Amino acid sequence: MATAPSVSCLPHNAKMSKAKKVLDEAREIQNPELDLFDKNVSTFEEMTGLLNMTYITRLTLSHNAIKSVPPGLANLSNLEIINLANNQIEELPLSLSSMPKLRILNLSINKLYSLPRGFGAFPVLEVLDLTYNNLKEDALPGNFFLMGTLRALYLGDNDFEYLPPEIKNLKNLEILGLRENDLLELPKEIGELTRLKELHLQGNRLTFLPPDLGQLDMSSNKAAFRLEGNKWIPPIADQLQLGISHLQDYLKSETYRITYNRCLTNKPEAPPPCEGKPKKTCRTR
Amino acid sequence: MMNPRDASPKIPVLGAIENSLLAQRRASKGSKDDINSSYYQYEVYDNVPLTPLNNAPLSLKQNLESPIQPSKLTWVVNLASMSRDNMLCSKCGEGFEPQEKIVNSTGQLWHQQCFVCAQCFREFADGVFYEYDGRKYCEHDFHVLFAPCCQKCGGFIIGRVIKAMNASWHAECFLCEMCKQELADTGFIKNSGRALCHECNAKVKARGLGKYICHKCHAMIDDQPLKFRGEVYHPYHFNCSTCGVELDANAREVRNRPGLAKNDTNELYCLRCHDKMGVPICGACRRPIEERVVTALGKHWHVEHFVCAKCEKPFFGHRHYEKKGLAYCETHYHQLFGNLCHHCNQVIAGDVFTALNKAWCVHHFACSVCDQKMNQKTKFYECDLKPVCKKCYEKFPKELRNRLRRQHEAAPRRAPTPVE
Repeated sequence: MATAPSVSCLPHNAKMSKAKKVLDEAREIQNPELDLFDKNVSTFEEMTGLLNMTYITRLTLSHNAIKSVPPGLANLSNLEIINLANNQIEELPLSLSSMPKLRILNLSINKLYSLPRGFGAFPVLEVLDLTYNNLKEDALPGNFFLMGTLRALYLGDNDFEYLPPEIKNLKNLEILGLRENDLLELPKEIGELTRLKELHLQGNRLTFLPPDLGQLDMSSNKAAFRLEGNKWIPPIADQLQLGISHLQDYLKSETYRITYNRCLTNKPEAPPPCEGKPKKTCRTR
Repeated sequence: MMNPRDASPKIPVLGAIENSLLAQRRASKGSKDDINSSYYQYEVYDNVPLTPLNNAPLSLKQNLESPIQPSKLTWVVNLASMSRDNMLCSKCGEGFEPQEKIVNSTGQLWHQQCFVCAQCFREFADGVFYEYDGRKYCEHDFHVLFAPCCQKCGGFIIGRVIKAMNASWHAECFLCEMCKQELADTGFIKNSGRALCHECNAKVKARGLGKYICHKCHAMIDDQPLKFRGEVYHPYHFNCSTCGVELDANAREVRNRPGLAKNDTNELYCLRCHDKMGVPICGACRRPIEERVVTALGKHWHVEHFVCAKCEKPFFGHRHYEKKGLAYCETHYHQLFGNLCHHCNQVIAGDVFTALNKAWCVHHFACSVCDQKMNQKTKFYECDLKPVCKKCYEKFPKELRNRLRRQHEAAPRRAPTPVE
């Protein structure tokens, strides 16, 4: 192994050596799981040779300062897990979507305003975490809801006002996180996500729910339907107070069907945008 | 479950072969040599249709030995006293020469050369002939032409002919197709093209109806049968070994020597007396457990009756999972109760780590932000029901942490989800 120069005038020497050390070690023992979180990395170029380590199956780069992801990352075709949580990513390469083994992609706490066109082409993606970005419905590419293998989709702390009805195409979805968006309404198609057992809707601007939601398994002990922090119409608020199973029964009732139709034609006054969110750090460019 | 020594109450038994009507008749008929010295005339019977109606027992159309019609030959030699002028041969109608031998049989006269077999034109050996339709045949030709052949062995039937199933049989060749018992004297029942004795027919019929035949009275058991020492009975044939009450189908058979394969020492008890005996009862079949006992779910089970509630396969000592008073095999427990690892989406083979409404393989439970493994002792935070280790949580934007904390405080307190 080449000995590091004893004296260096490179300004980034300290943080570079941190990542380099991990990379060297990993290369030596051919470790397929690469932990590079909290290594002060800001560009992929700093991680010399990383893009040649095609045998790695996991790459964890959380808590760094990465601004952009090179398309060449997709050459690491054995990667099953990419974790880029808590970085400064504003843009993604489309090439990621063609990674043949990628199952888990964590992009939470970044600065994404949009996703590349064709982003939904992942062949085997199961978990996609986009929490704490700046996404909204029109920022999603057209094929976003064609990711049939998706089990968990985290979109909390974003700026969605409406959830596209195409959500129904995510047949395998078990977890849908929409906490603290600006949702005004949910599509009735959400009732077609028969495997859904976790739904986070806290802190939105919702006032009523589609009755179809009652068809889902909301009240089993494996289910978690979180609905707090919305301006629910009184009957929903009352039932929610009693418990999730009461709400489910109410959503399925004839009474609610009438109430719901009334809400559709004569929408309740939308609550103001959520407070606090403008302070999100990911908004600062 | 064979029962070597059947101690059940008396069952009609077939008598010795010598006592059978057939054997007696045979004995009186004498040996085969006698056949030659006596003359049998065979009758040809109308072919009485034998197709049984409704499987009703048929009486055998038997051709019993008909009484001998002694075809007495009288050799008339020089019947000088009689005038030969008006005597004519029964065959050719010619008269007789004065010194010619005349055959006289049953009041008819023949030339010696006319008194021959209608088939081979030879004289009758020892004067034995058989008559059929007005013609006389020697023994050989009569058999060849008219004697019935046995459907089974193909041989001529001399003596008793059994006409049954549209064929002829030796009495000793016409057997029940199931138990091979001779049917000549007992009668038979035609059952889908097979000749069966009454007992076998009843068995077949009972099997068809899904019913048992009582091993004692041989009648069909319409209600619940009682199994005892490997056979089935009407329960009312027995009494409780302890209290003597007449038994019903709830009676229990108890092995006196547990583990012994032979069951000839088994005794029957009424349910009341049985339950007082303290034998563990299987939680599945409610019957006593005499061999290995599995104790699980607060009950006792026959080893082979302790099964997965879903696939009903016995565990046979393999690991089982309990849920709401039911036991499941690993595969079905996970299939039904969703213990798929949140990380690898596979059935969790070993120990399960459950938290945040999810399950993980023990080695797959990790912080969702830095992917570092966590164990039972690691403290973690929850964000959207994802585990976040303390280090990572502290690196979250302060603004986000504040909101998460506020939300956490505002969320309705729910009882912690019990870990199974």
